[in-house]
Amino acid sequence: VTDDATRTLGKGSAPPGPVPEGLIRLYSMRFCPYAHRTRLVLQAKGIRHEVININLRNKPEWYFTKHPFGKIPVLENSKCQLIYESVIACEYLDDAYPGRKLYPCDSYERARQKMLLDLFYKVPHLTKECLIALRCGRECADLKLALRQEFCNLEEILGYQNTVFFGGDCISMIDYLFWPWFERLDVYGIADCVNHTPALRLWIAAMKQDPTVCALLIDKNIFLGFLNLYFQNNPDAFDYGLSC
Amino acid sequence: MSGGSARSLGKGSAPPGQVPEGLIRVYSMRFCPFAKRTLLVLKAKGIGHEVININLKNKPEWFFKKNPFGLVPVLENSQGQVIYESAITCEYLDEAYPGKKLLPDDPYEKACQKMVFELFSKVPPLLLSFLRRQNKEDCSGLKEELHKEFSKLEEVLTNKKTTFFGGSSLSMIDYLIWPWFEWLVALELNEYVNHTPNLKLWMEAMMKDPAVSSLFIDPKAFRGFLDLYLQNNLEACDYGL
Repeated sequence: VTDDATRTLGKGSAPPGPVPEGLIRLYSMRFCPYAHRTRLVLQAKGIRHEVININLRNKPEWYFTKHPFGKIPVLENSKCQLIYESVIACEYLDDAYPGRKLYPCDSYERARQKMLLDLFYKVPHLTKECLIALRCGRECADLKLALRQEFCNLEEILGYQNTVFFGGDCISMIDYLFWPWFERLDVYGIADCVNHTPALRLWIAAMKQDPTVCALLIDKNIFLGFLNLYFQNNPDAFDYGLSC
Repeated sequence: MSGGSARSLGKGSAPPGQVPEGLIRVYSMRFCPFAKRTLLVLKAKGIGHEVININLKNKPEWFFKKNPFGLVPVLENSQGQVIYESAITCEYLDEAYPGKKLLPDDPYEKACQKMVFELFSKVPPLLLSFLRRQNKEDCSGLKEELHKEFSKLEEVLTNKKTTFFGGSSLSMIDYLIWPWFEWLVALELNEYVNHTPNLKLWMEAMMKDPAVSSLFIDPKAFRGFLDLYLQNNLEACDYGL
C-alpha cells in the first residue's frame, strides 16, 4: 500500500489546512503519469511528504487557489509556497532536499538530461491518444507508428551512449521523468510498441528492478479497473481499488 | 565577440573548425529571438565567445550534426560538447561559468522563474502569427490573445511588487522573455503594453540594462529582415550587412 492510498477530495470538500512543518504536500491522483514523476522523486530522495488526491472530474473549488487551472501535480510546503509543472516540481525537490542528487552535478551532463527530455515530448500525447482510440474501439495504427518512431529515437540514444540508463550506468532524474509512460504501455494495450527496440526493453527491465520504481508500481488489475470506470465517465474512477 | 555581425553560413559552406580553447562558440542568427537569449546571457556574464551565424533559410548540411533539429541557438565548447534549446543553453552558461549568477540559488525562487517562463510560452508563437498577418488580414483576435497573455505577465509583476520578474534586480527570467518585447520596441508596437503599466515600466527598465542596450536590435535592419524572411528569401538572414 503506497502512501497515496487515500480517497480523492472533490467539490464541496473542506480545504485542507496548512502543511505541517517538516513535511511537503503533493496534490496528486493515483493514476496520473505526471504526478507519478513527482512521487518517484519524493520516494527516491526519501522526502517526508503527505499526498492529497484530487478528483479530476469534480475538482474542489478551493483547489483553484493552488493551481489556476486546477492541474496536478502541485507541491505545497509549510511556508505556503506552491510549485507546479511536474518537471519544475521534480527539479525543486532535487534542489531543495539533501541526500542523493538525481540530476548530475556536472553542468554539461545536466544540460544533456534536459535535452533528452525535449526528445521525449511527443510520447505522453501519443500514448494517451492510443489509449483513447483503443478504448473507443477505434483504429490506431498511425498513432502506434508515430509512437514507435519516437521510441526509435530513444533507442538510438541508448545505442550511441552504450549505457543501460539514459543518464549513464546509474538511474537518474531523466529515467524517472520518462518512466511513468513506459509503466503504462502494458495496461494501455500498446506494449508491442517496444517490439523493435531491444535497448529500450532492457532499460524497462532495469527500471523494474529499481527499488523506487518497484515501491510505486501500480497493480495492473487496479489500473484496469480505474480505466474501465474512467472511460464510462464514472466519477468514482479515481478512488478505484481503495479499501476504505 | 567576433562574428556577431558576420555573414551567415549556408548550404555548401565548409564546416567550421574546432572551437579554440578559452572560448565558447554560439551558432546563431542575427534576428533570432531564441538565440538572442543566449547572446544576452553571454554578454551579461562576460563570457568570451565567438558567433557563427547560420542561414536559417538555407542551412548548411554540417549544421545538422551540431543540432539534429537544425535550429539555433547551439553552444559548442572546446571539448566538442554541444548544447541546444535556448533555455537549456542559458542555464548551462549560468552553471558552468563564474561571476554573477543569473538564476537564484534559492530552490523556490528558481522554481518561480521557471513557472513564469511557462506562463510566457504562448507569446512567441502568437507574436510570430501576428507579424505574419499584419496588414493582410484582420488580426483583432490575435491582438486580444496577446493582450490576455500580457495581462498574465502583468499580474506576476503586480503581485510581486518588484520591477523585474525575479525581484528588484534583473535576472535570468527577464533576459529569457526580453527578445520578444524588443521586437515590440523595434516595430513601434509599444501601445500593446498600454493596458499593462508594470510591464511597460519593466520594458523601460530593461532598455537601461547594459547587455540589452549593447545588443539592441537595429529597427531598420529588423524590418528589412522580417519582410524578406516572411517571403522565404534566402538573403533574409544577412539583411543590412
